[in-house]
Amino acid sequence: MSEAVVRHSVIFGLDPLWLAVSILLLVYAFVMFEKFNRAVLSLLGAGMMILGGILTQEQAIAGVDFNTIGLLTGMMVIVAISQKTGMFQYVAIRAVKAVKGRPWGVLVMLATVTAVFSAFLDNVTTVLLIAPVTLLITDALGVRPYPYLFSQILASNIGGTATLIGDPPNIMIGSAAHLSFYDFMANLMPIIPVVFLVSLLFIWLMFGRDMKASVESRQLIMAFNENEAIKNVGLLKKCLFVLTLVIFGFTVSHSFHIEPASIAMSGAALLLLMQTWGESLKDKDHAFEGIMTNVEWTTIFFFVGLFIVVTGVEHTGAIAWLAHQTLAMTDGNFNATVGAILWISALASALIDNIPFVATMIPMIHDMGPSFGGANALQPLWWALALGACLGGNGSLIGASANLIVAGLAQRAGHPIAFMTYLKHAFGLMLVTIVIAHLYIYLRYLF
Amino acid sequence: MIASKFMVAQPQTCRLDEQAGEVFKRMRSLGLRLMPAIDAGGTVKGVLSTLSLLGHIVPDYIVSGDLDAISYAPDFGLLRKHYDIVSNWMVADIIDTQYLSVGPNESLLSVAAALIGSGRHEYALVVETDGGLLGIISAGDILGLLAQMANDRQNDV
Repeated sequence: MSEAVVRHSVIFGLDPLWLAVSILLLVYAFVMFEKFNRAVLSLLGAGMMILGGILTQEQAIAGVDFNTIGLLTGMMVIVAISQKTGMFQYVAIRAVKAVKGRPWGVLVMLATVTAVFSAFLDNVTTVLLIAPVTLLITDALGVRPYPYLFSQILASNIGGTATLIGDPPNIMIGSAAHLSFYDFMANLMPIIPVVFLVSLLFIWLMFGRDMKASVESRQLIMAFNENEAIKNVGLLKKCLFVLTLVIFGFTVSHSFHIEPASIAMSGAALLLLMQTWGESLKDKDHAFEGIMTNVEWTTIFFFVGLFIVVTGVEHTGAIAWLAHQTLAMTDGNFNATVGAILWISALASALIDNIPFVATMIPMIHDMGPSFGGANALQPLWWALALGACLGGNGSLIGASANLIVAGLAQRAGHPIAFMTYLKHAFGLMLVTIVIAHLYIYLRYLF
Repeated sequence: MIASKFMVAQPQTCRLDEQAGEVFKRMRSLGLRLMPAIDAGGTVKGVLSTLSLLGHIVPDYIVSGDLDAISYAPDFGLLRKHYDIVSNWMVADIIDTQYLSVGPNESLLSVAAALIGSGRHEYALVVETDGGLLGIISAGDILGLLAQMANDRQNDV
């Protein structure tokens, strides 16, 4: 296990461990209460780590995982440009027309579209694009939107679990543990359809049997013209070209020792170049600035600050201590440790933001390496963390950013989702998905 | 000049328990854009206007701006479906309960100022202290009165 490495003087002669842990807990608490911008909070925490003497500026900068930052930023740029084409609405409408507007079929199709998009885009963007169309479609069908929005929240978090780029925790885990896009596909993708189908079964049991729509309402669905959703065919072709290149790049990048951030940033730059090709410099500058306003800078700076805060805690030896305590709790039993990581991650992610939680867990798992025979032996722990943190987000309305986004859209549309109603439907279902994940990990890696 | 002298007295009204669709048909046949809604005792409870009706027909998810360009949706079919639903609602479910009211002794200037003040209202209801409806004054009525006065003065000259 790593030793505490704070060699310099800490402000007022305070104990570095307690100061660093207090800063981390304060950032956690204020992020949970949602009274301040979370990027500002994490950057303040980062500043306190440096000004308090726990980290030097060089150590703080070295602690920022620029692979995660680059991958997030690059994908956000690509998505910001792609969403202007209307392709997501096109796919959603095609999907619901394919089932001829049957209410349960519509739910399955929209949830599937959400899950697939979430695997390759960030979950918040996916629900921001799909949920408003869902409100329109359920309105035309004359059905209650809640079951549809509920299924999309679950689908976005389940789909996002499947790939390296699907959910920020996976990006962080992939970068920290040097796991490739292919590793995520090979290890997490196989269980995701099972989790998704079981979730759909439970949704059907809860809501599916009562879903009915009149013939007139279904005819209204069939009157949607998906071709009208495409706003810019030229840009759509460019986006599809770059998206294909980027996804292909992700699948082969590990073989060429290229980090996913390099693929995402190169793809973003290429699409930025292509989208305004042939236009004047003024128009190009204008378009670039427009795209940059769509990048979620709050998330990016939240990550930067958080990486520094967690690095500070790591430098004091607190995380090594936590790892040691976890191992003591499980008697150093690998299977029990995997189970503990999975369940603690799931329960914690249902209650708090999974990004700071995963940021704290990553160095803790790293510190367990020597006890379990080195970094290569840790893979089941990484998959347990990814499955727990991503699927756990389904447990409550505050479990993931996408959940809150859908709740906000529903509220503005006059169909508020009550916290307790969601909890009643989702928490048990989340536990079922974690049981499935536990079984999968056990059978695949521990049996 | 006080409000009771230039208001439109005894305006057309509707009851709270009437169907919104029926009242709207009556408004169209009379060329009206609004009707005060009164209870059985004659007390004003709100105003049914073309905008309050339209406000219940256009879905909130469009009004909120979360879904803007929807050229792909059968908008006429959707709106007609909503109109069919809303037209069967009672007037009480649709009326705007926030409306501008003035007393019968308010001056022309203070009524005009109230109309263009915060919120910019097209009309003001003239009501007694017990809520009984006496009349209605619109911005057009005030301008019409002024134009009439100017015309009369020109004719006198």
